[in-house]
Amino acid sequence: MKAWTHFVISLIVGVFLTSGFAHAGLLDNFAGQSGKIDIAGGTAHIPVMTEAAKRIMTANPGIRINIEGGGTGVGVQKAGEGLVDIGNTGRALSEDEIAKYGLVSFAFAVDGVTVVVNPANAVADLSAAQVQDIFSGKITNWKEVGGADALINLYSRDEASGTREVFWGKMLKKGAIADSANIVASNGAMKVAVSQDAGAIGYMSIGFVDASVKAPTLDGIEPSQDNAKSGTYKVARKLYMNTKGQPQGLVKLFIDYVTSPECTDIIAKAGYIPLQ
Amino acid sequence: MQQIRTCRQNSSRFCRQLFFDRVVRILSCGAGFISLGTLAAIFVFLLVLALPLFLEGQWGQILSLTWRPYQGHYGILPMIAGSLALSVSAFAVAYPLGLGICVFACGPGPRPLRRAVIAVITFMTAIPTVVYGFVAVFLLVPILSGALTGRSGPSLLAACLTLALLVLPTIVLFLYQTMRETEKRTRLTSASLGFSPLQALLLVVLPGSATGLRTAAIMGYCRALSDTLIPLMLAGNAPQLPTSFFDSIRTLTAHIALVVATDNSSPAFHSLFACGLLLFGMSLAVQFMIRRHDASTKPLGGKWLDLLSFLAGHRLCRTLIHVWSGTASALMLIAIGGLVVFLLRQSLPVFNTRLFFGDAPIMAAILGRAPVWDGIFAACAGTVALVALASLMAIPAGIGAGIALSQYLHGRLARALRFSANTLAGVPSIVMGLFGFSLIIFLRHTIAPEANTSLLLSAFCLALLILPYMINATAQALETLPEELRLLGPSLGMTSLQSLRRILLPAANRGILGGIVLSMGRAAEDTAVILLTGVVAQGGLPRGLLDKFEALPFTIYYLAAQYQSADDLHKGFGAALTLLVLTVLLYGGARMLRAGMENEWKK
Repeated sequence: MKAWTHFVISLIVGVFLTSGFAHAGLLDNFAGQSGKIDIAGGTAHIPVMTEAAKRIMTANPGIRINIEGGGTGVGVQKAGEGLVDIGNTGRALSEDEIAKYGLVSFAFAVDGVTVVVNPANAVADLSAAQVQDIFSGKITNWKEVGGADALINLYSRDEASGTREVFWGKMLKKGAIADSANIVASNGAMKVAVSQDAGAIGYMSIGFVDASVKAPTLDGIEPSQDNAKSGTYKVARKLYMNTKGQPQGLVKLFIDYVTSPECTDIIAKAGYIPLQ
Repeated sequence: MQQIRTCRQNSSRFCRQLFFDRVVRILSCGAGFISLGTLAAIFVFLLVLALPLFLEGQWGQILSLTWRPYQGHYGILPMIAGSLALSVSAFAVAYPLGLGICVFACGPGPRPLRRAVIAVITFMTAIPTVVYGFVAVFLLVPILSGALTGRSGPSLLAACLTLALLVLPTIVLFLYQTMRETEKRTRLTSASLGFSPLQALLLVVLPGSATGLRTAAIMGYCRALSDTLIPLMLAGNAPQLPTSFFDSIRTLTAHIALVVATDNSSPAFHSLFACGLLLFGMSLAVQFMIRRHDASTKPLGGKWLDLLSFLAGHRLCRTLIHVWSGTASALMLIAIGGLVVFLLRQSLPVFNTRLFFGDAPIMAAILGRAPVWDGIFAACAGTVALVALASLMAIPAGIGAGIALSQYLHGRLARALRFSANTLAGVPSIVMGLFGFSLIIFLRHTIAPEANTSLLLSAFCLALLILPYMINATAQALETLPEELRLLGPSLGMTSLQSLRRILLPAANRGILGGIVLSMGRAAEDTAVILLTGVVAQGGLPRGLLDKFEALPFTIYYLAAQYQSADDLHKGFGAALTLLVLTVLLYGGARMLRAGMENEWKK
């Protein structure tokens, strides 16, 4: 009888303990903490940052997390100047930037950058050369690449964008981008702009691609995160968080949390391949 | 003995009164020079930060046609051309329309209809810029892409039409006011000459309103040139020379907003201050232009008069004028009607507590215990905090300066103060934002390494933005008081402070209050300033002065460009309606207070 009770109790305690462990993890580290974290920069990061912030702030309302976009350039500048705690970048930092500001980088996901067109556009495949010619302004009509007879409307990102830099370096091979290209300020804005304009072509993080835009295959390769991770699709980058010097306190907890296995579901849901 | 004591008491009381009088005089004159100081500070900041470019001989770089900072090209000529193209075209659309509407409003049409047109124009002044932009993105741009072949998406044309609508009330109200005054003055003359209403309008009222025609033109153009949000949202922002109306262009103002977050030591960063200087110089030039013309209040003459008499003399022309003024009014009514109906249709179905609080429990959210994730509550709270804080800073300074301007300062000093207030009112808000941003960079590198963009900074910059409105409103309210009231105090042996406190301020309080409420409306709708000085997309309730914050205009701007779901879009429409209701309430309140002031002291 006694042994039986012991068994039940230890079972219950065991269940409690394990379930406790399963739910606890890194989020528990935020308990009892208070303060704020300012985040700015890469716009591809925003869905991940927002979801992580949601979980942390729901677990502990005493913590406050501000999230701004602006693009990779903003992330470097603001983190470098100390205006924010974490500056996100959609590319690796240059040596100059590291030397000038003393930034430390933490990668958490792999992300491809793909060409996108309006879903109504019949063009389903483009070659790298065609993409380069379209963005340099040599090809101005969709019929030249097998589409309808309609003018091509270019959409690009501002110079602060990491997505632009990756696309420009790896897809356009540092070729020209026509000055006539419309400029939008984020991945989200790119999706909205391209989905509303039948003649549009733009480029953005694969994580943002959904039914409202169409990503044509490039030289026959499907631009997907899996292909980006395996290296079949070359136009890819890592997503980084950067801090000025080694992160301390709350900021360190946040970075540990986002780069931990606990956040892989958030990162996957946002459309990226987690590094963990 | 008793008598002597009372005498002493009286004399010491009198001394105290004189002392207070002097203190208030000094304080208010000091407040007056805040606007002068600010103007100087903005100029110095822009100049100093643009200077490295000029010192390093990069003039040629700046004045070139290519903006490709990654290749070392920093030309801002395309942006200058873009600014000119957009402002001139918007002005060319708005000015004839405005003139037509004024002719209609002063003309022989049915009185209720004329009053309705003016009422709608007045309502338009309360519509926030970001709401115009937001509705245009979802209503005008699709119409333009559908109707016109070739190009779709954002374009010079979309921005031009929206901007024309934005500056229309500025033009109409300036002109209408002058025309109505001229009409009153000349009514009998025209009647005795046997003029028909239209003849009177063309031959007497319009020529007599030359000042109004000019001021309306200058103010309207200035407004078109200094706007940031409409080109940013609608013109496409491509740094190229415009060649057609369907091209994508970038203005100087949008350029500053787009590029400000860049390496502080790069030429690209410094080139922004050259853009800022250009815009600043423009607002100075406008001041000079208005002042020069104010001196000559001569009526129109020469060719203009010939043209008007030709128009009045021919029946066909008269019919054309009727058609034109009717069409202009109808177009304006259709545009505003379309805007309001579209906004209401999109936003009313979602206008409920879910819009504000999402799934969070309402009480807990209001008390700040539960964060709101899917609602606009934090943005509303941010806007309220921002407006309150900015007013708190601007009201004492503005009223003080207004009092100094109307009571204490005379001659050159008063002229300088008036000039600085008017110029400050013309400084584009993006330049004010740029000033705030560079102020923080400056503070961080000098005395306050912890300084950061924040609620406090945004409120400070907004306060500077609305300060001139406050100064002018106070000065005007005091100056329009009847002369007898001004003489009453001195004739009773009051000190100037006593007369101010007991007679003038109570009499002018409605006018001053109206000015305060009006500038609160201005602070609530501005987006360009906060864009550069501390607003964030996601941040929750503001918890302190040094915190970052959310705000309604920015939320609307942000969602218009990058909504990710139908829910997001509805939230944008809901936020637009909320902001519109807020500004209409503030502007309506201001108008009622001012009308009350006029009724009280007329004759």
